[in-house]
This record gives sequence, structure tokens and C-alpha cells, in this order.
Amino acid sequence: METTEIMDGKNITLERAGEEDRTLIFKNDMCAVCGLCETICPVSAIEANPTGAMIRTEQDMSKIDIDVNKCVLCGMCSSICPFQALDLQINGDSIRELQYPQLIKSAEIDNEECIHCKACETACPQDAIIITRELPSRAELITGEIDIDKETCIYCGMCEEMCPVDAIDIEHQTPTSDNPVVATDINVSEDICVHCGICKRICPVDAIKQVCRICPYGEYEISEPEINGNSYIDPELCINCTWCQEICPVDAAKVTKPFEGELTIEQDTCQGCETCVMVCPCNVLSFPKSTKSGLNAEKLHKDERFCIYCGACQKSCPVDAINVKRTQINYTPTKSKAWKKAFESLKQ
Amino acid sequence: MTIGLKTYRELCHGCGNCVVSCPVNALRSEEVAGGKGPSDDVDIIMIVEDGAIQLKNVDLCGKCGTCVQSCPVNAITLEEF
Amino acid sequence: MPKHIVSGLKYIAAVNLRKQGQTQREIAEALDMDRSTVSHYLNGRNLSWNSIEVAEMVTNFCPKDFLILTHALLKDTERTRTIIQTCSNLKFEGIIRNSCIGCGICVDTCLMKAIVLNDLKAHINDEWCCGCLICMEMCQTNSIEIKEVVD
Repeated sequence: METTEIMDGKNITLERAGEEDRTLIFKNDMCAVCGLCETICPVSAIEANPTGAMIRTEQDMSKIDIDVNKCVLCGMCSSICPFQALDLQINGDSIRELQYPQLIKSAEIDNEECIHCKACETACPQDAIIITRELPSRAELITGEIDIDKETCIYCGMCEEMCPVDAIDIEHQTPTSDNPVVATDINVSEDICVHCGICKRICPVDAIKQVCRICPYGEYEISEPEINGNSYIDPELCINCTWCQEICPVDAAKVTKPFEGELTIEQDTCQGCETCVMVCPCNVLSFPKSTKSGLNAEKLHKDERFCIYCGACQKSCPVDAINVKRTQINYTPTKSKAWKKAFESLKQ
Repeated sequence: MTIGLKTYRELCHGCGNCVVSCPVNALRSEEVAGGKGPSDDVDIIMIVEDGAIQLKNVDLCGKCGTCVQSCPVNAITLEEF
Repeated sequence: MPKHIVSGLKYIAAVNLRKQGQTQREIAEALDMDRSTVSHYLNGRNLSWNSIEVAEMVTNFCPKDFLILTHALLKDTERTRTIIQTCSNLKFEGIIRNSCIGCGICVDTCLMKAIVLNDLKAHINDEWCCGCLICMEMCQTNSIEIKEVVD
């Protein structure tokens, strides 16, 4: 019945065998030190270490401490953690898969809508998005003709050297007395050629005839390029910050945040120490550059569209210049009054 | 486990980076924020005394790690007690 | 000596189960005994009256001592449950407060297996609750109340 603790580096595993085998797993890397677990723990078993110190300075300890003598493995911390850093498993199944209250959050990219521009992949603060795409060959997007007069060609190799797509291939050789030529053949691969005309222009003996047909005739022969791709959001890494949704030029990403609320910054109190900027897992905060010399920029800039109201910034601020107010917690219904009360207590 | 400020006076060059960068100090004393020593009557976390760092009011520390990052010689750290 | 107490307890349990209308075979199965021994017990043979007296004293211990001693003597949870349930003279009612978080510690500690979790809340089956209060002592959220039921 006793709970045992296993440390694996900075990761923590608590185990209790009984009618049900319960295992609580803490993954240090996933933790943003927001302190929600500490707040919700009904038996005060969790202590979240100082956020700024844990994120900005090197520490040997885990971001949170779990008191093995106090923890009852109820799973509230695991249910509330917006970063999936904590996971309670019952008989090997995560309570995220069981009839436990869950934060309602999601992030999806509609692959039909997605144009695979990779803006979301670049913007995602957690590197949770992978966009793969297959682009057509350049030659498919151009049409033209090219012809090399092999009689005129002196095989100087300038065209080969300058071709931006390596479409020209010359079979060079060292001249011998029985075959006193510098090359035996020259060929241009029409599948690769983009009809840019560089070869024609560089050729010292005008051996190359090349035309791009797009200019005189328009794009009549070019079919719509086909871009195939795939979009993937890693559900383990995604923290539902909505960067992908907001940055997507075609509205292909849809995100539901677990919390709603308000983020307030007292600009006069803020001393610009940058702790919150470094701590925020959603890249909500930044220091704007001054737009004009002699003009003070806003001290600390926020874009609340990306905020999930986890409270890590507030917890990290050494001068209490940030206030995070949660007004709504989206979670699946539960019959348990204690769990409901615990979730509701995180609202202000 | 608690984590808190620790100084290594023997490593300290007395540059005062930590004193000036500390947001708590800066909020409490405009003189410190401006890079000057504090007036006698202002409580701040640390000062340079006799050429080396000296902790004064550690209770005020918000453990943000700004001083640790600003120190060129690792003379101030946030450590487990 | 411990064996004698066990025999005494089984004797009392056998007599009570018979009163509840169970057959000798059922009693033998429930208490893990030979049918012949059950038969002897029910006819008042093969057991010193002293063992029965001591066993009777044990059944009148406070419920927690009765339970722990019986479990220690039998080293078997199922028989312990049967004996405690048949020999206990007291009735209890378990109340789970709304502060219960469903951590399951009570389920794990209850030797009588009287507690189950349902919808993240513990539920006590009064039929099996022996009033030992171990669950109450172990509950970290102070969510269990056990009341003795007086007829």
C-alpha cells in the first residue's frame, strides 16, 4: 500500500500498488513551472520551485517536488496540467483516457485547407508542428524549348557551369591523338531545364537556341501546380496556445484553449528583467523595439491571443507586475463535487 | 527543497551588475535602477560592500535569476539549501 | 495457542452461519474447513470450551483490534472477512463526504473490501464495514465518517 518514489534524472515516478495500481509520472522537460499542480493538490503534496530560477538558471533539482509521504495519487495535478507534464496512470492507462475530468482543449490542422506554407511550424513555441510537403519539379511550372547545335558548340563548359538547375551535361575528356576533342557530347535534360536563358546568353559561339514560351503565349500550357503535403500536431507537445491558428493565412488551424481569462501587466512596476518573457511557454510576451529614437517603447508587450492563462509569468515575476486571472476553465463534466470544486477554485 | 540566493565573495569582482540588474532593487530604488548606489534608507537585496557582493535583504528576492544571468563570474547563484 | 483461537473463531462463525441457514457444505467452503469438522463443531464436539471463550473475548474487542488480530491469525483476507462479518455484533454506517477525491487509499487499506470507487468517490458497503476506522484514519482529505448503528 506504500507509495514509492523513483527518480529518473529530473523525472519523478510515484507508484502505489493496491486494488488499482496507480502511477504518477512527472516529466520535467514538459513542465513550464506554472504552479497549477501545486495550487490544485488537495493534500499539499506538490511544491513548484521558483519559476524564474528553474527556467533561467541551471538547477540540479526537478521543477516540482512531490512529497511521497503526502501524495495520495488522486490525479488532480495530472488532470489540470495544461502541459501534460504530469500523468496519472491507473492499471497502466492514463486517466486522460479514463472517466476523469479532462481539460477541454484541442488543436487541429485541416489538411484539406492547409496550403503547407509552414508558418505554423515556424511559429509554434513548442515545436509541436511538423509540415511535410512535396513540391512539383521546377520544370513543371515553365514551358519552352531548348536546342544545342552540337556542330557549332566548342564544349567550353560555360553553360554547364552556369546552369542554375544542373540541366546541362557535357561528356568531357582529355584529348588524345586518335580523338583530339575536349568533349564527346553535350546534352540538356528538358525535364530539369527551366528555360531561364542563361546558357544561351553565356554561350560564346551562339550554339544554343532557347525560348521560354510563357512570355509570348501566357501560361496556357502550365497546369495548376500540385502541392501535396501533410500537417501534424504532436498532441504530447501541443499546449493549445493558438499561434498556429492565428498565423495561418488560410484559417486551416483550429485551437481550443483550456482556460479563458485576462492577463494584466503593470507597466510602471515592470523593471524589464525578462523573466516572464523567458518563462512564458506560449510566447505571449516580448520586449518591443522603439519605433523612433527618443521614444520609449511599451515596456512589456503582450498578445493575449496566445495566452492560455497558465500563470507561469505571474508566478515568475519578482516584482508582482503581472496578474493572470482565469475566468473560465473548460473541463469535461464530473459527478465528483470535490473535483468540481478543485477545478472551479482556480477561477478568480 | 528551497532555493535561494548564495554569493561567493571570493569570486566577486565587485562590478555591481547584479545590484543594478535586480528588478526588485530597481523597483525599490531609482538610484539603483540608474546604476548608482542606494540611499541609506532603502532596503534592497544586495549591495557591493568592500569590493564584493553582500546580501542584505534576501527575503525580498523573487528568485527570478536576473542577477545570476548578469554576473560575469558566477559569484551569485540561486542554489538549493 | 493461536491455532486454538482460530478454531474458536471458526466455531463461532460456523454456528452463526448455520443460524443464517447455510448448509454444512457452504459453511465448510466459507471457512476453509473439512465438512466433518464443521459437523463436529455444530454438534459441540472436538473443541475445548476454553478456546471458544477466548475467541468470544476476541470478537468483543474493539473492531480494529478484532480485525487486525483475526487477519494476523488467519493470514487470509477472504476468511478474515467472513469471520469478522459473521461474528461481529456491531453494525456500522459509512458516510463519504463530498470532499472525497477518489484517491482510492481507503479502498486499498480496507481489509474487509467494503469500499469501492465510483465516479471519483468512495462508496462504503455497510454490509461489510466492520467499524475498524482504518479508512478514516488513512483518509488524507478527512472525507470518511463511520457511525455505529444502534437498533
